[in-house]
Amino acid sequence: MTLLPFLVTQCVNALSQAALLFFLGVGLTLIFGIMRIVNFAHGSIYMLGAFVGYTAARITGSFWAALIAAPILVALFGTAFEFGILRRLYRRDGSAFLMVTFGLALILGEVIRLVWGSEALQVKGPAAFSGVVFILDEPFPVYRLFLAGAGIVVALAIWQFLERTRLGLLIRATSQNAEMVHALGTDVNLVRSGVFGIGCGFAALGGVLAAPLVTASLGMAASVIIDAFVIVIIGGMGSFPGSLIGALLVAFVQVFGNYYFPDLALAFMYLIMLVVLVVRPGGLLGKEA
Amino acid sequence: MRGWLGTIIVVGVLACAPAGLPPFAMTLLTEALILGLFAMSLDLMVGYTRLISFGHAAAYGLGAYTSGYLLLHTDIAMPFAVIAAALFSGVVAIGVAWVCTLASGVSFSMLTLAFAQLLYAVAFKWTSVTGASDGLAGIPRSPGPFGTTFFVGKSGFYYLVLVCLFGGFVFCRSLVRSPFGSVLRGIRENEAKTLSLGYNTRCYKIAVVAISFTLGGLAGALYAPFAGFANTELLFWLFSGQVLIMVIVGGAGTLVGPIIGAAFFMLVSNVLSSWTDSWALFFGLIFILFVLFAPQGIWGLATQAFTGEVAGARRGRWRSLNWTG
Repeated sequence: MTLLPFLVTQCVNALSQAALLFFLGVGLTLIFGIMRIVNFAHGSIYMLGAFVGYTAARITGSFWAALIAAPILVALFGTAFEFGILRRLYRRDGSAFLMVTFGLALILGEVIRLVWGSEALQVKGPAAFSGVVFILDEPFPVYRLFLAGAGIVVALAIWQFLERTRLGLLIRATSQNAEMVHALGTDVNLVRSGVFGIGCGFAALGGVLAAPLVTASLGMAASVIIDAFVIVIIGGMGSFPGSLIGALLVAFVQVFGNYYFPDLALAFMYLIMLVVLVVRPGGLLGKEA
Repeated sequence: MRGWLGTIIVVGVLACAPAGLPPFAMTLLTEALILGLFAMSLDLMVGYTRLISFGHAAAYGLGAYTSGYLLLHTDIAMPFAVIAAALFSGVVAIGVAWVCTLASGVSFSMLTLAFAQLLYAVAFKWTSVTGASDGLAGIPRSPGPFGTTFFVGKSGFYYLVLVCLFGGFVFCRSLVRSPFGSVLRGIRENEAKTLSLGYNTRCYKIAVVAISFTLGGLAGALYAPFAGFANTELLFWLFSGQVLIMVIVGGAGTLVGPIIGAAFFMLVSNVLSSWTDSWALFFGLIFILFVLFAPQGIWGLATQAFTGEVAGARRGRWRSLNWTG
């Protein structure tokens, strides 16, 4: 294998990985920015998305329907959870959220096991994106190419949503100064419910998209949650561009690290996180000094 | 609560436990006490200094791997290996804390998480020392010191754990009631003010992390010969989350609370898992109910019920208001 095709395919591979990580990280960082919650259940929400997507794909017979239905259903669930439980806790300190979201992670893991069983479920990707394509004479799965594209499209969409729409403005304002937004006559609680739902929806989107690659299984939550934390910490908690940079950085370290230094890849990821935090305790684009 | 009387009674009852309990219950109790020591060590950071560590498993894992390694590869008597492992954990903590205390708040928590995960990654790959994913297995309870085999047996080991827990508790209680403890509480309530009073808060924070890691390492060092193995799960972030929850469920900032929290955690997970396969479901529900309805934790709840009766009947509000400080 010559160097250039190898580099190109690995880069696209890393991009597709970054897309999946980005869907997780962006939800986590939005939720943190608005509510100062470290959501321990985010990995489980991602897993829930994959399983709901599996069922939706079974019922409708179409991956595309699942891709739309699962994030919406999971987002509704997230909103309901915020509305029912998290809302009572905003006056309390952070440990309350830690316990509640940790509890939710346990409950979700068990409910998923009870409903879907403990076996890994195969989710078929869309027929249009099966098979391989040749990039500079190197075979490459089309589905990964599609993931990389989806990541870019969604990142652009979120960016435009945050920058151009009124709701995006409200979200940015609330993460800057919730009290002021409240004083100006916006129901901040509504924004919080919405953002928690949206964050969960993105995680679910990531879950559905990952399912054809890794199957929907009970190990999904634990395997991604710490990656998601690392991304958000590196990028800066609460920063949208930060989560994008974090996802890219982590994905490239994972893909190339696994190839060149398989023994050190894992440690290298945490080492980057440490160095970033020591140099900039708030993360690369974070606010806190 | 009532000076030393309550403590002595509890320790007395625990000391009699090997005479009355079946072996299975003794194993559970020993593990609960080890976890209690671990949770109590975290309480020094979380409850008294408000240094929320997401990586306390690092202390436990360091202790467990070090004592496991010493017991497997040297002839050191178990109690000495345990102490050496605890001290090693404390020394490493000075370096960790020196870096972590550069930040505060959420960033501090994330740095501790990063360190613990780094150790996890190292333990996962450093096959020659840590045994990688298999971990260290067959860790013996080496006899000694001075030729005694007392600690090798089940109840002897239990007494070793009990002594460590009791010693740790007495030490922590003296510590939080000392001038050093007052500074820690000052940092918890208002770090800027404490700093302006002339205390080098960063030194105090590093010191408390080192002490906390030493005690947490002691717990881990006891666990390795107790279970006979040490694996990477002892360093995993999930375990850090669990011990943090033990502290909060029990009642942070009370020392006794986290021990009860750890025992509660052990007991409930064992009872539930023997009763239903879906124990995690009920476990999660219990956490959420605790947060919603009993934020002060088990010990806080018990204290409240206790003083509520007594204070309400005799001395009225004044006492109950002043008693919490």
